[in-house]
Amino acid sequence: MVSPVLLIAVPLGLAFAIPLFTLFWKAVIKWIPAAALVFNLIFSLLLLPRVLENPVIVFIGGWRPPFCINLVAGPVGILFSAIIALVGLLVSIYALDYIKEGAVEKYHILYLLLLTGATGVVLTGDIFNLFVFFEVLCISSYALVAYLRDKAGIESAVKYLIQGAVGSSLLLIGIGLLYGQFGTLNMADMAGRIDSASTISLFVPMVLLITGLGVEAAIFPLNAWLPDAHSSAPSSISAILSGIAIEVGLYAVARVVFTIFGASSILLFLSLLAILTLLVGEMCAFSQNNIKRMLAYSSIGQIGLILFALAIATSYGVTGGLFQLLSHTLAKALLFLAAGYMIYRAGSMDISDLEGMGAKMPLTSLAFTIGAFSLVGLPPFIGFPSKFLIVRAALATKETVLIVLIGLALVGTVIEGAYFFRVVQALYFKGEKGNPGRNEAPIVALLPMFILVLLIVVVGIYPKLVTDVLNSAATEFLSRLEYVRNVLG
Amino acid sequence: MSFLNSYIYYIGAFGLILIGLYIILVKHNLIKVIIGLGVLDTGVNLFLISVGYVNKGTAPIFSKPGIGSEHMVDAVPQALVLTAIVIGVAVLALALSLAIRLYQHYGTLNLRKVREQRW
Repeated sequence: MVSPVLLIAVPLGLAFAIPLFTLFWKAVIKWIPAAALVFNLIFSLLLLPRVLENPVIVFIGGWRPPFCINLVAGPVGILFSAIIALVGLLVSIYALDYIKEGAVEKYHILYLLLLTGATGVVLTGDIFNLFVFFEVLCISSYALVAYLRDKAGIESAVKYLIQGAVGSSLLLIGIGLLYGQFGTLNMADMAGRIDSASTISLFVPMVLLITGLGVEAAIFPLNAWLPDAHSSAPSSISAILSGIAIEVGLYAVARVVFTIFGASSILLFLSLLAILTLLVGEMCAFSQNNIKRMLAYSSIGQIGLILFALAIATSYGVTGGLFQLLSHTLAKALLFLAAGYMIYRAGSMDISDLEGMGAKMPLTSLAFTIGAFSLVGLPPFIGFPSKFLIVRAALATKETVLIVLIGLALVGTVIEGAYFFRVVQALYFKGEKGNPGRNEAPIVALLPMFILVLLIVVVGIYPKLVTDVLNSAATEFLSRLEYVRNVLG
Repeated sequence: MSFLNSYIYYIGAFGLILIGLYIILVKHNLIKVIIGLGVLDTGVNLFLISVGYVNKGTAPIFSKPGIGSEHMVDAVPQALVLTAIVIGVAVLALALSLAIRLYQHYGTLNLRKVREQRW
């Protein structure tokens, strides 16, 4: 059996092969990301049954951990890499037609590098390696936000870059402090020794790590860049940023809090922060007229909900959080992809200019509607079981604070419903009557949307399809001793 | 003075980090902010190096007879810093090229005047 290293090596190698292909075979370059991601998706799915029994640990350089850089392909890592490959593949198919102008080959290189970085973050078992892959992800997303080179894109990219770079520096200081204390960079080794350190000397690195990673994960006071960046990037990139980049940031936060520090005392603070993130995001989304900004703020709200579920830190809670993460990734990617062509046809991002799209682009509007309903949490879409699981997990803890907070989260959901239904109403029930000409999105754009709709509906009806995987992923997060034992052997 | 001797690198490193953060937070000119990022990066790198530094230590190579491993500095932070420098260069280069674009669009580098996107 081949090793999980290929999940990183193949897309990385192909990304840097793209400039070579531009020399002699230009027509093929836009297919390269899709090819790399097909490989990643198939390979992740093949590995999945094996890692559910036993995590695959890869040593690089022939040394055993903690002396080498290692990859940990556990249920969490492979689950995330499968999600990244799936959504990345669908978006790269969409981009075949959507990305026509500008430096196309640079778009594809950066796109593939972004996904390589994301895959690396979720698979690595070494905290400095995590930082490096995180930077690969961040730098390519700064550049992709500015891809259109218009006013808004450049401005948002500059803001995103400054905040992201400060965040990365804080992360690196945190890593340096941890290395100074433990003399190791291996996350499992660190987790094994962390109990011997005093609380106060752990507090500073933990705060630095959470703050540094929180910038990319868009946790509340650190998310000023997100609405600008997500709304001014090309829609295919918005889908990836909303659907993958911030989720990977959340994964890193969860890995640091659960696995490295095993910190239960900070969880209450995180859940307060999460609900604050949720309410701020949903309320800002409610007051937007620009559809992409609305979707971006709604991502902030969803991130709050996922973080809240993870911070419950029971088996149900973490499973619910990962389920919500999956449902947000699918639904938000679908929403951005559908919105991309509606904006393209309407020539404007204002919701009022999208009126009557339900007649002009029926399939795209239907896809948007399904994504919106799923995000709000209506059955039979995937958003319903995931939100249900979170509510159940919060109630099952029987802690007053968490029950109050989940009540606030449900208020957020009501706001969410209000602004999404407003858009759906504009699509179908407003605008001039009569028989407008149909002008549907091209078939290569409809295909990924159709697959996303299919997944949203199928998993919404049979949540059992994914709950086993999510359960073992949650177990990996919660049982850190087993993680340590698996890696160090 | 012994306090200074053992902590001078940390004081310098965190001094640079704070100066960098101050520049980023306070200055309005994008070029100055980018310089601030550079100073911050340098501070972080210096900090990482000083984590692995052994007083009067030498490079971790058995080049001369009689050098024991206790007189050698830790090599891992140096490898980290090499990587971090490369990443820092990439970020700074990207930031500067964005600054050129920003100037072409707005005719100014003053970040307080570049405010089309709002909450």
